[in-house]
Amino acid sequence: MPVLRAVLVLVCLALVPAPAAAASLDRVGFVAGLCDDAAAQVRAAEGLIQSAGEVPADDLAFAAGLLGALAERRLACPADGALLLDRPGASEGRDALTGLARATPDARVPVLGLRQRAAVETARGVTALLTGPDPAARAAGLAAAERRIATVPAAVLDRARDAESDAGLKERITGLAQAAALSSPDPVRRRAAIAAVAAHPSGAAQARLAALKGDPAYAADHAFRAALDAGLATVSRAVAVGDGLAVVYNGLSFASILFMAAAGLAIIFGLMGVINLAQGEFIMLGAYATYGVQEAFRRLAPGLLDLYLVAAIPVAFCAVALVGIVVEALILRHLYRRPLMSLLATWAVSLFLVNLVRVTVGTQNLQFVMPAYVSGGVPLYADFVVTWNRLFAIGFAAATLVLTLLILRRTPLGLDIRAVTQNRDMAACLGLPTRRVDRLAFGLGSGIAGLAGVALCPIYSVNPGMGSGFIVDSFMVVVLGGVGSLLGTLVAALGIGGANVLIEPVSGAVAAKVIVLVGIILFLQRRPEGLFAVRRRR
Amino acid sequence: MAHLTRRSFVGAASLLASPALIRPAFAADTVKLGCLFSSSGTMANLEGRLNHVVRMAADEINGRGGVNGRQIEVLTSDPASDWPLYAQVGRQMLQQEKVAALFGCWTSVSRKSVLPVVEQNDGLLFYPLHFEGDENSKNVVYVNSPPASSVLPAVDYLMGQDGVGAKRFFMIGSDYVWPRTINKQLKGYWKSKGIPESAWREEYVPFGFSNFQTLVNQVRSFASQPGGQAIVVLTVVGSSIPDFLREFANQGITATDVPILGLDMVEADLEGLDTAKLAGHLNCWAYLQAAKSERNTKFLGDWASYVKARNVPFSADTVIDPMVSAYDSVQLWALAAAKAGSFAVPEVRKAFAGLSFEDPSGYTLTMTGENNYVSRGVFIGSVNEKRGFDVLWQSPNAPKPVPFSPYG
Repeated sequence: MPVLRAVLVLVCLALVPAPAAAASLDRVGFVAGLCDDAAAQVRAAEGLIQSAGEVPADDLAFAAGLLGALAERRLACPADGALLLDRPGASEGRDALTGLARATPDARVPVLGLRQRAAVETARGVTALLTGPDPAARAAGLAAAERRIATVPAAVLDRARDAESDAGLKERITGLAQAAALSSPDPVRRRAAIAAVAAHPSGAAQARLAALKGDPAYAADHAFRAALDAGLATVSRAVAVGDGLAVVYNGLSFASILFMAAAGLAIIFGLMGVINLAQGEFIMLGAYATYGVQEAFRRLAPGLLDLYLVAAIPVAFCAVALVGIVVEALILRHLYRRPLMSLLATWAVSLFLVNLVRVTVGTQNLQFVMPAYVSGGVPLYADFVVTWNRLFAIGFAAATLVLTLLILRRTPLGLDIRAVTQNRDMAACLGLPTRRVDRLAFGLGSGIAGLAGVALCPIYSVNPGMGSGFIVDSFMVVVLGGVGSLLGTLVAALGIGGANVLIEPVSGAVAAKVIVLVGIILFLQRRPEGLFAVRRRR
Repeated sequence: MAHLTRRSFVGAASLLASPALIRPAFAADTVKLGCLFSSSGTMANLEGRLNHVVRMAADEINGRGGVNGRQIEVLTSDPASDWPLYAQVGRQMLQQEKVAALFGCWTSVSRKSVLPVVEQNDGLLFYPLHFEGDENSKNVVYVNSPPASSVLPAVDYLMGQDGVGAKRFFMIGSDYVWPRTINKQLKGYWKSKGIPESAWREEYVPFGFSNFQTLVNQVRSFASQPGGQAIVVLTVVGSSIPDFLREFANQGITATDVPILGLDMVEADLEGLDTAKLAGHLNCWAYLQAAKSERNTKFLGDWASYVKARNVPFSADTVIDPMVSAYDSVQLWALAAAKAGSFAVPEVRKAFAGLSFEDPSGYTLTMTGENNYVSRGVFIGSVNEKRGFDVLWQSPNAPKPVPFSPYG
């Protein structure tokens, strides 16, 4: 029956665009919702998420613009309609519906509460996932939507998957769509969902699966039970491994900071027996030198600003080494035979430096631009996140260790330093200029403290008082490691860092510090020369 | 420990050099006010600003002709963030300099150390910080709010439908009296609401602690456990605040996952941080820079021009609650002294009853004869991308302060 067939085809043709047309966004209502109270804002954002599977792309782009403006406080709400501002606090904007320019006399600019913020973030994620111009934008959208995946309907994920051109992203969306069927009535899809959840283990996934143990199917359906038990076992194991990795990483990171702070001291204390209380302030000066490099880049080469941390390495080393050499030449060289005097003198230097910086720069925390390679982190396995700033410090400490060892073991200066450390008088008899070696070694030790300042910029707040916190820890490390031994310093830093991180979850941070300190005291009672004592003749 | 040695050195050195600690500017026919704010040590970045605000308020009053026909002279000092030193400098100011009132202290531990000094000498200390309450001395004016009118409204907000419906709480604090008392009261409050003890965790860190990796890991695993939305109640102080926030953001936890209620968090703590990843975390104070009122606009302008004119080493466009509270303190003292017609502490104290002052927050501050507390408004702020706080909620009026918590 060709006629009927023709009619059918016509009907189908008429129906094909129909769902899209029927589900188009109520723009006026959406705008009004975003400009209303908290509950209405949440309704508008959640309504968009629910319908995003069918809404045409231009409506989604329209909604994305409004949501972005709302999140960035660029959406002004006069008595009627809404205005998009170019920047927060602008006095003029474009009407959200008509695009015409309008003034904003005392229009309200809504602030997002946490509930609205969550809904708006998810809605923005969904729109970015569906309309993002490149895979990176869509992946970011997916990550945002994933945080509250329970509120995202299956239709949205299906639409995103069908439209996705990037293979990796498509796979991720498919996995998420499968995982969303955790409470589906179909047992096969449900088991697939369990496997999909277990494929991306985390504490949250563990909680999601564990909640299913109370499900009636767990007792009734054998296959479901087996799938759930297997999934839970996988996730629990992965979470345990992830937590273990996190402990190792935290220990390494703390140890790298301790090592950076103590390495310079190990050389100075080992060589000259000078207890340099200004070492913390040298670290602080290194951080301020880094800030100086950043400001210079900002002025002279704004395009290369991200590289300032790398450029700061030689600058901080040289600047602080120079300060160290000046301090040695002006003050310390007169006090070598009087250890208590040199201790007091370096303490005075530390006070002087703190106050000098306070008066010239101010006490506020310095504002650093954090390039991408030292901000944020990447979830590596289960709940284990590698944070870039700490990885930077670990790498930095490793490089410092290698370079310092090379200098000490392979250069003439290193040979001189080792000779003077082992037997000052004999070295002098053999014609070594011990005073010159002292000065250079003090410069080297100070320069390493300056490097520590560079490594610490992305981790700690930089202000004039930042150095005082390091001095106790660094002395602990140096004394425990054995005076004058760089390897001892490394092992002691790893030991103290690791012990702190292991004890902290059990007994709290305050007790961890005390326990570690008591442990060190007991150890030094047994072995006063520390872990690795340099053999020396007296 | 070298650190302890240093601190005792500071103490010893200041014993010898104490007359030089106070910087007076002698003039005839003046009345002296003393400041106890550190400009060195861990609290320098925060407390240091308050010296200048007190000066600014005094200048303003002097410009109007002073109080009771006398010009105000402000004495500043530097207790170096060393708690016992606050008491010592305070005693000196009261006994040798005969100041009419003291303005000072940030941490509760410094206030507790000054407390016996002002009580023995019958002095008057204006304390500009919100704090743990549970104290009512006739010699201290508590210019900022006790927990009932700052912390509890904020926690209520987070537990309510407008917030996140918080059910579980991770408390992280510095190890001293303020965090411990606040947390004790919070636990009592949650118990009174029938929340089980398994719903919270409490951790303390030493002063100046900065390695927050392990704690942030713990927060993440705490939040992923079932039982409802978790929040962090943060009572660490000083440089621990930015260090905690940085680690939190770097590990990828956002305010919509686990919001932080930072009870001591102010705009100055966000200096040097990338706040785009921190947007939405909360604080609660009796004043926020974003408060909408004409008096606030005027105050912000006054501070900016004061910074410029006097070359003050602090940011001209950052104003934090304790600054406004310190300003209010001087104004309240001047009002009371004018009302009493005298600078004698007992007379001034009597004049507190019924005082009112319209401060930059937009609320009217009032005092009653019942206690030395000041009734203030409540703001809940939300971190924005520009290292500031947006006003998320504010109380319709200034609630009557409750000095002693029924929950502790």
